[in-house]
Formats: sequence, structure tokens, C-alpha cells
Amino acid sequence: MSKTALIVDDSPTMRQMVAFTLTNAGFTVFEAEHGKDAVSKVAGGPKMDIVVTDLNMPEMDGIELIKELRKLSAFKFTPILMLTTESALEKKQAGKEAGATGWIMKPFNPDVLLKTIAKVLPA
Amino acid sequence: MHDGTRTPGFRMSNDFAQFQDAFFEEAGEHLAVVEEGLLELEQHPEDVELLNKIFRSAHSIKGTSGMFGFTDIAQFTHKLETLLDLLRNGQRVVTPQVADLLLRSTDCLKSLMEAAKSGSAIDAETVQRLTSELVVSQGVGLGVLGIEKTKVSGLNSVSPTGRSRVYSISWSPPAWLLQRGLDPLQFFKELHNLGTLSQVAMDTSKLPDLGAMDPEICYLSWTIQLETNKDRKAIEAVFEFVIEDSILQIEDMTVSNSESHVAKASPQHDTQSREVETGDGLPKPLGEILVESGVVSRETLDQALAQQKKVGQILVEQHVVTPQQVEQALQKQRQQESAAQSKKTDTASIRVDTAKIDKLINLVGELVITQSMLSDLGSRFEMQQLPVLLERMVELERHTREIQERVMSIRMVPIGAAFARFPRLVRDLSTKAGKKIQLVLSGEETELDKTVIESIGDPLTHLVRNSADHGLETPEERLDNNKPEVGTIRLNAFHEGGTICITVADDGRGLNRDKILAKALTQGLISESDKPTDDQIWPLIFKPGFSTAEKVTDISGRGVGMDVVKRNIESLGGTVSIKTVKEKGTTFTLKLPLTLAIIDGMTVRIGREAYIVPLLSILESIQPKREAMKTVVGKGELINVRGTFLSMVRLYEVFNLQSEFTDPAKSILLILETEGERVAVMVDEILGQQQVVIKSMEQNFHKVEGIAGATILGDGTVGFILDVRGILEIARRGEAMAV
Repeated sequence: MSKTALIVDDSPTMRQMVAFTLTNAGFTVFEAEHGKDAVSKVAGGPKMDIVVTDLNMPEMDGIELIKELRKLSAFKFTPILMLTTESALEKKQAGKEAGATGWIMKPFNPDVLLKTIAKVLPA
Repeated sequence: MHDGTRTPGFRMSNDFAQFQDAFFEEAGEHLAVVEEGLLELEQHPEDVELLNKIFRSAHSIKGTSGMFGFTDIAQFTHKLETLLDLLRNGQRVVTPQVADLLLRSTDCLKSLMEAAKSGSAIDAETVQRLTSELVVSQGVGLGVLGIEKTKVSGLNSVSPTGRSRVYSISWSPPAWLLQRGLDPLQFFKELHNLGTLSQVAMDTSKLPDLGAMDPEICYLSWTIQLETNKDRKAIEAVFEFVIEDSILQIEDMTVSNSESHVAKASPQHDTQSREVETGDGLPKPLGEILVESGVVSRETLDQALAQQKKVGQILVEQHVVTPQQVEQALQKQRQQESAAQSKKTDTASIRVDTAKIDKLINLVGELVITQSMLSDLGSRFEMQQLPVLLERMVELERHTREIQERVMSIRMVPIGAAFARFPRLVRDLSTKAGKKIQLVLSGEETELDKTVIESIGDPLTHLVRNSADHGLETPEERLDNNKPEVGTIRLNAFHEGGTICITVADDGRGLNRDKILAKALTQGLISESDKPTDDQIWPLIFKPGFSTAEKVTDISGRGVGMDVVKRNIESLGGTVSIKTVKEKGTTFTLKLPLTLAIIDGMTVRIGREAYIVPLLSILESIQPKREAMKTVVGKGELINVRGTFLSMVRLYEVFNLQSEFTDPAKSILLILETEGERVAVMVDEILGQQQVVIKSMEQNFHKVEGIAGATILGDGTVGFILDVRGILEIARRGEAMAV
């Protein structure tokens, strides 16, 4: 069975790019526009093997989303990677405290994305 | 030396390049959000939610542009974003100066985006000037002007020697390791990818009694030996996500230690050389380096740069060329630039709601079913099945029509996109002209063809400029005339029949009849004896070179433009009309077809030929009485329609055809109207109404007076579509045209 990934980003272009890379790598990809959307999509939905989320989003930002997900039993130990820019390093700390597994610095290329995911994804 | 131009770096070493179009579309939307937001922010400087929205859009542009290697955009947006961040945190307040700077930066960002899209040169000076303005406004030292390097590098790097080394790694992970979704096994797996693991020792000393143990807490630590040809950085990269929270020691156990110093020294050397590089690897301009090293101040540099002469100026001073020659060359350059730009941006895409496409696919499915039923019926047709056949034909017609409507609706987009530029324009115009203007937009949701929307932007802009500059009075003048101090410009769009109406209305002084008349007399457009009516005077402002403005301002008033407005609108098959009341204001009404490709037509017969008359222009059809007809010298034939005399055009004469009737009393007269003028045309018979697809005459043949285009009729023959305006012209001349 293929691995499932949830991509949360308000930018359709970013979502497309991450989804494209992950789909090619054999993932079944789910997309959400922002935190709230993501929370409602995972409620009672399929279990995710990994979550990749942007931080700056309307409705509910990435930090809030990570906190919300960690409260759910299905996401207690799920790897959650945040997409962040180099200049937003203080966000990294906030993300870690919220329970993020790791981060990917923008800009990245598909190779970096897949390598980082491999790093945190349990076999 | 300042180089003025610099091509954006396209460093697309990855698969993401295919998403570039999507990026530009999205970035365009974000820019619109930023600009709209900033305009609103000027009115409500305290609105934090608004600032958040603007910030998010700017942030999105920054993040995504970096993904495509548009470092210019990413860096500039970063500066913009930093200022926005200070504003939303309340560390800086939104002053008119700040708002203005932000708006100008948005413009700059737009042009950077255009440059990236078309691959043309960027205006490096403007970018640099605004960048320093943005930095200054943040109240931060100028030293931070240096540009961050963007790293897109792999995670593993080979040690400089390439020989394998043995490292001893001792690692005590943070207690919350598991709670963040991290698994110690993962780290060993990664380390294993680097080389050979040996002697993995687990320290269980911190493990509490089973009863006191929290299964979600990590109590363990490890000591590992790793033999690898990768360097220390590669090992640290494995622990990237926990390195700050772990106790991690990596010791090089390899016997000869001298090489490890080399490995350590080289990255330092790297950072030093990095300071004099810009993000795209090009050396920094001399001035930047001087400022950074503190030799000169930013102000001195800017002054020096301002003194820098353009090459044209130097050549003129050396009397090698004349200023006119330089101006001509510059104009040529601008033309080439804009030509290159329009070429690039012409390949437009359209975003379509997937629901629209799904519906379309459904319909096509139904069409295929109907078609197969018909061909089945045709293969073994018997006369008694005629009713079934007819029923199927009706179905086919319904599906075809529905598909046509759906396909057309794909091209329909709300006009709001074309209106979006006006709040900013009006704001700038009002500051420039010292007038107080409020803009009221309505009917933004009205949909029309994408091509039409793209083409009406410029004419609308001109009309709005015209209203702001000529139509509206200064605040003092308005107060003197008992009008509210703030003038209003209204833009409205609505459907009217099969057309779209767009009105640009101001509550200004109205058109000045006497001035226009006087100007028209001096230009010889009319003569004193004509005694023109108001309705004949107003359209004079659409004549080329016509301007009554007392002084030419840089907003408008050069007399070029109104004629271009009219020409542009007419080339879209639309019309412009004017309504004006002295001291009350002027309203320009643009009427445009919903789409350029299909019209509703009435098929008429002249002799054995079929012609199409645009349905919109038909008022009525009559069978005239013989006594209603008159011939007037110089005006041709006239027909009395309920007391009004209209010119009558015998179409068979115009198009040189053999008609069935030459006596108007036996034929049928169609009363056509366009732009408020009416004409009667004589045809043999009305055949019926149908939608026709317009095929251009100019593209396939050449322009023929009185013909707007051609179409393929139901029986496969070609039918011509009447150009009602052209027919009016013919009637006005009172003569038939020999074809």
C-alpha cells in the first residue's frame, strides 16, 4: 500500500509542486488550503504517513495546525514537516515547540524534499 | 560602474520549471491583493487583519518566487515583507509616506514580475533605490543591505580528502523526541546511509522504574562509531532537526589529525568571500561595496549616482549626435521593449472552474449518444420512423446549443479584474491633480469575454483619466458651485440585452458646448451654417487631434486618446456614446458585444443570396406603402416611417445582385439602428433567426464596405453579415456602391 501524505499550503502553486514530487515518488497525496481545511480533512479520513505544511496561512496557520494535529491520537507520532523560509528562523523554534518533526527551507528542489521526507519517515 | 540592466537568473535545475506559469498567475493575484490592501490600509491604518492579509500575500510571493530561482523578486519581496512585519507588529506605524513607499514597491515588484516573465531586463536602479528606501524605513542600519544567499544544496557532502574516516558519535536526544514524530531508528538508518556503523552502545542509565516510565518520553542515549568518507557536516545534517536540543559530540577518531584542520578551515574562507557576492553570484556594484565597507555613505553614493550621465547625454555633449536622434533611438528602444513584452504576455491561459468542464464533458457524452442513435436510425431508416428522427434532431439541436453556451461561458470572466486597477489610478490622479475624488465601482461581477476584457482596459483608463482631469473641478471650484467638495467617478457594468454596458460617469462640470463648437469651427470640422445639435456636437471630441483643454497636463489633454478610445471600442464591435449636463457631469457609455465570435442574426434573402443582419440592430420590419416613399436631391431615397423620414438603401444595388423585387412596395424593409441613427434596408424575404459564427473578411479576403464578415450557413453555403454602420455610411452618401 502506498504511503499517504497531507500537503497544507495556501499557495496552489506550492501545493502543486509538492504534490507533483510526492505523487511521482509513489505517495497518495491529500491537499488542504490552510490549517482549518487540513483539520477538517483529516477528521475521520485516512491516516497520514506524513504531513508537509506551510506556516503562513489564513484561517489557521501552520503552528496552530501542528498543535491541533498533535492533540489527535492518529497524529501523535506522525512526522510533520514545516515549509519555511530562511528568514523565518524564529518560526522554526515555535514550530518545534508545537511539535513539528522537522523543516524544509524554501527554496528547495524535489531532491531535497524527498531526502528530508526519507529522513523522518518510518520505514 | 552601475550597469543599469541585469537579466534575471534562470537557474532551473529542477522539475519545478513546469509550474512557472501557475506561479505567475498566482503571483499576479497576490500582487492584486497587496495593492488593493494597501489602498484600503491608507483609509484604515489600524486594521491589523488587513495587514496580515497583505503580509501573507507578500510572503507567498517571496516563498514561491525563490522556488523558481527568481532571486531578484524574492530578495525585493523580502525587504517589503520585513517592513510589513514591523507594521503588523506595531513596531512601525502606517504613515502616508510608508503607504506610498509600499505602493511604489508593489509597482516595482510588478515590473520585476513582468521582467521575469518575459526574460527582459529589470530596472536595477529603481529596484536598488526602493530597496534602500525600504531598509531605511525599517530603521535598521544600512549594513544589512547585503543579500542573503539562497541555498539549494544536497544534504550530503563528501569530505575534502575523499578518504574514509572514523567518527565517534555520542548522542543524547531530547526527552520529547518521540512526541515530535521522530524515531531514533530513523537516525541510525540515515547514519547507515553515510557509511558503516560499528559499536552501537545504548545508555539506559536514565531509564526510570517501569511504573514511573512515560512511554512517550525518550530516556535513552547512544554512542556510535561510524566509518564514512563524508565529512562532519554530513553527520550533523542527519541530526539537523534535533541538533539544538540534543547533546551531540562528534569526534574524529582517524589517526592522522592534520587533515581535519583543513576541513575546518575551508568553510570559513567560504563565508569571507561570500560577503562581496550578490545572491545570483554576480559581483556587487562598486558603490554597494564602498557603502558596506563604510568608505562612503549611502547619501554620497546616491548623489554620485544621480550625477552619472546616460550614454545619450554624453554623446550629445560631444556633438556626435543631436538630441532628436537620441530621442528617436530611445523611442525605438521603448517600442522594441514593449513589443517584446506584449509578445511574451500574449500566450495567455485561462483558469476554468472544474465544474464547468465536468458539465461540458457530460454534455459531450450525451451528444455522442444522440449521434449514435441517429446513425443507427439512418442505417435502417423507414418512412414511418420520421417522428422518431425529428425527435432525435430536436435533441441534437438542444445538446449542440447547450455545448455552445457552455464553451462560451468558459471564456466569460467577471469584469472586476479590469476594474481592479482603477482605485489605485484614481488615488494617484487625485494626488497629482490636487482634486478630491472618490471612485464608486459597481457591477464587478458582470461577465464578459476574456478578450474583450483585456482590450477595454486601456480605453477605460483613458476615460477615467479624462474624467479626473477635465470632468471634475478643483475642491474650491466645487464648493463655489454648491457641490460637495469630493468629486465622484462611477464605473458601472451591466447586461443590456445581448450587450454589455460599461459606464464611466463623473459629477463634474460637464462638456462645454461653446468651447467644443469654437474648436470645431477653427479646425473646420463643421461650418457655422450647419447649426449642429447637441447630439452632433458631443461626438466631435472623438475626432483625432481634438482637445479643448486650456493647458496640457501630464494626465491628459494632448488631444490624442479620445479618438483612440472610440477606435478601440469600435474594433471590438462596440459603440461609445456621451451624455452630458452642464454643471452636473458627463457619462460615457460603452456598449460591447458579449463575445466576439458569435452573433444572433436574422437571415434575409436578396435574390438568390442569403445575408445575415445582426439581430441587435433590427428595430422592425415593414411593408411600405408607395406614397410613403420620396426622393430628395442629394439625400437619395427616403421613406416615411410614422412621420420620420429615413434613408432607404436598396441592398441589391449596393451588392450588385439580381433581386426578386425592385419595387419597395412589394419587398420588405428592415429598419436598422446603430449609434442612435436609423436606416431602412430593402430585402426580398426574411428567412429566419439563427446564431452565426463570424469569420473575418479581412483575414480570408479583404475588407468589403457594408459587410462585417462571413459565415457558413446551414446548407453549407457562405452568407455575408451586414455591417450596419457601413450601410449607414452608404446611405449618408446617398449613392450605391459599385462592387
